[in-house]
Amino acid sequence: MPVGGRVSGLRARLGLGRRDALDGVVIVAGVIFAVAALPSLLSPYWVVNATIAFIYALVALGLGVLAGRVGLISLGQGAVLALGGWVGARLLFATSLPYPIAIIVAGLITMVMGTLIGLPALRVSGLYLALVTLMLAGAINVVLTDTNFPNGGKGFLGYNDISTGTPPSIRRPSIAASDPAFLRYTVIVVLVMFVLVLLHIRGKPGRAWAAIRQSEPAALAAGVNVTVYKMWAFALASFVTGVAGALLGSSSHVLYNYQFPTSQSIILFAVALMGGIYTMWGAVVAAFLFQIVPSLFTVWGISNDWATILFGVGALQVLTTAPAGIAHQFPRDMAKLGRLLFGLARRVAPAGGRAP
Amino acid sequence: MPSWSSFQPFIPIGLAAGGAYALSGVGMVVLYRATGVLNLAFGAIGAMGALIAWSMINTWHVPGGVAYVACILFGGVLTLVYGMIFGRVLAARDPLVKAAATLGLALLLLGVMNRLWPAQVTRTLTLPSDNGGFAVGQANVDWTQVIAVGFGIAMTAGTALFLRVTKLGTAMRALADDREITATLGVPVRRVEAAAWFGSGLLAGAAGLLLADLDTLASDALTFLVIFTVSAALIARLRSLVVTFIAAIVIGLVDNLITPINSITNFRDMTPFVLAIVALLFFAGRRQYSFARGGIR
Amino acid sequence: MIEINDLTVRFGGVIPLDAMTVTFESGTCGLIGPNGAGKTTFFNVLSGFVRPSAGSVRAFGDNLLTMPHFRRARWGLRRTFQTEQAIEELSVFENVAMIHEHSRRSRASRRSDVLGAIEFVGLGVGPETKVGTLAVRERRLVEVARAVVGKPRLVLLDEPAAGLPDAETEHLGEVIRRIPGEIDALVILVDHDMDLVSACCGVTAVLDFGVVIAAGPTADVLRDPNVMRAYLGTEETV
Repeated sequence: MPVGGRVSGLRARLGLGRRDALDGVVIVAGVIFAVAALPSLLSPYWVVNATIAFIYALVALGLGVLAGRVGLISLGQGAVLALGGWVGARLLFATSLPYPIAIIVAGLITMVMGTLIGLPALRVSGLYLALVTLMLAGAINVVLTDTNFPNGGKGFLGYNDISTGTPPSIRRPSIAASDPAFLRYTVIVVLVMFVLVLLHIRGKPGRAWAAIRQSEPAALAAGVNVTVYKMWAFALASFVTGVAGALLGSSSHVLYNYQFPTSQSIILFAVALMGGIYTMWGAVVAAFLFQIVPSLFTVWGISNDWATILFGVGALQVLTTAPAGIAHQFPRDMAKLGRLLFGLARRVAPAGGRAP
Repeated sequence: MPSWSSFQPFIPIGLAAGGAYALSGVGMVVLYRATGVLNLAFGAIGAMGALIAWSMINTWHVPGGVAYVACILFGGVLTLVYGMIFGRVLAARDPLVKAAATLGLALLLLGVMNRLWPAQVTRTLTLPSDNGGFAVGQANVDWTQVIAVGFGIAMTAGTALFLRVTKLGTAMRALADDREITATLGVPVRRVEAAAWFGSGLLAGAAGLLLADLDTLASDALTFLVIFTVSAALIARLRSLVVTFIAAIVIGLVDNLITPINSITNFRDMTPFVLAIVALLFFAGRRQYSFARGGIR
Repeated sequence: MIEINDLTVRFGGVIPLDAMTVTFESGTCGLIGPNGAGKTTFFNVLSGFVRPSAGSVRAFGDNLLTMPHFRRARWGLRRTFQTEQAIEELSVFENVAMIHEHSRRSRASRRSDVLGAIEFVGLGVGPETKVGTLAVRERRLVEVARAVVGKPRLVLLDEPAAGLPDAETEHLGEVIRRIPGEIDALVILVDHDMDLVSACCGVTAVLDFGVVIAAGPTADVLRDPNVMRAYLGTEETV
């Protein structure tokens, strides 16, 4: 078989197309930039914010897989993030597991809990599922208010009710203790998670999910075990979000319950919608909206309430007009703009007498 | 386990809260049946109306009565405007999208409220009916609580009667049953929907006013009280007004009667969520593959 | 061979299938009847979406009704729906491969099996084409490809020619005729196009109000006065 045939065969087997090659180049370039140059270019304030933005990109990714790929709306991912933070902090304080192992274990434990949160998906769907997950998130939030987040204390909850002095920090990897170094570390971890999700989407689970989203009876008739695949989606989303939670703990040094209000689950959903739940780029846009926009507002002296207003309006706009979100719409708009400009250019300087 | 006398004071509080939830719940159910929209922004709408009333009384020194009417009217008008714009645009989409849109509205209103009425200031709304009341056993009942329950009963019965007896009400029931057929029967669908939006908005405004007095006038808290209303509506399977009322009363009672029980009082905030989860998983209907109209979708 | 005995389905007061009894031996078998006769309900029972209140279905010696629905595909059941269910955002290859990967066939044979199925139905487009960009005719062929991949035993075709013009229906008929021989599966074809049914099916059963009112060689069945009465709805004197 000629080389071209073999390469395209490999590409077909991996489920990659020509546009993916372009995406791949952009991603690799972006990651190299983010790891090598970004931390030194940003001020300390922005280094921290960028780290948190990347972390929330993982949360948005999980939400996107559930909503965009399988059609399961979960408004409880904010609580899963909090759970991930709790488990991560507990492990990092109580054990001396190497950091990567610790966050993976945190992710796995959160995965189990998150799958339980997803169980209602087997019984209800659509609106009711969204409401159930929101309510579960609210309930979990109340429990966390009571238990607090681990701060190196004793007992199962690992919480010391000390009101004076600085609480101990949730540890970071030894090779990435400083903020800029931790940003680099976070980018790598986020990249690994994205690849994990991509492999799922391009593989057997992704096809099964697409079938379930289109029509559950047809998926069943095709032999897809809908129950298993729905739970798998929740498991994947929760694992990724759990890892994000663990990273968030290290990033913020200490975790408090007020960092995870129930309203955040709603805002996460709104920005995920705005960014676009059908593509992985959408998760990146969503994270940017969620973290960077409010931070910009703070720097510019604009009240955070305007961000809330923006997200409300954005959600309304997306739901009414552009259901695929900004990440989907933007390239199309750019392409349209490109064609328009090209058309104008040809009209201004006609080539060889060809009509535009 | 606390004694009966320690529970007593919380009974009228629970009943009154339940009455207010029922008001909002009736509106929510009627609106859902007529338009397919589960309006999760009703809490925010009521909250904003209450805050406007507060400003009218405290900043512009408008007489109380005018302010209260304004609050209720605001609820109706804002809901109607939303319905005429977004309700219409999203009319053909499924209930999830319609409800998600109301979440967007809720976020928007939350932001606006926190801008216009900064949260650092504590505000209270005191209805004149707060003064005066009577005692029943260990419990003190004030007139606002009586109004809340009474209004809840009146609106439930009145709305049920309205739907059954009047032309507009019958049209709403027809709409709830089958929108397309109703339109072909010559019923002015748009006008009937507008009436449903406006009416349910009025009820949300009234509920907001009562809850602002009974509970708190904080935008965040009031907005999220809608969860109680949603629970009651879901227990009624978004169908029966009477069940909505009963469920709302029960929810209000359960939520408040937990307060004196020390072992679980820390988890009192969980009540609305737990009740909603129970409602959703056990009451909200079974899943079915629908095979209507040839084909599977 | 598939034997259906006394199959009854009740939805409240409605009885879509009333003691349906018929045996399909092999080849392509037609199942016709007026609208509402119960044909799609029958397919839904076979697929496992509807639980019958009585009766049995034995296919190739196995009791189909005791299997959970998603396992039936693994067993070898394939089905098309009245509205095409090919997944728009996936390519033709992925759509067909999906059926294959949930069947009993091995991973090694996947590529050749899938391409074989696509070629079998005569779909002229590249396998990497996204189904969402295809026309109705091509989508139906993708559906049929999904129904024949992975060594199926029983293929249910629910109005595959609905909405197609004559030329395409003929092509579809040719494909369907080849299935029993080349794929070695029993085909049950439900359709309203009598030409298609005559051309493809050696035997045909007729359902009316959930009851089998005729079964046998297709030509005889189509001439049966009872069948014509069922379709045209003349007064029945009992």
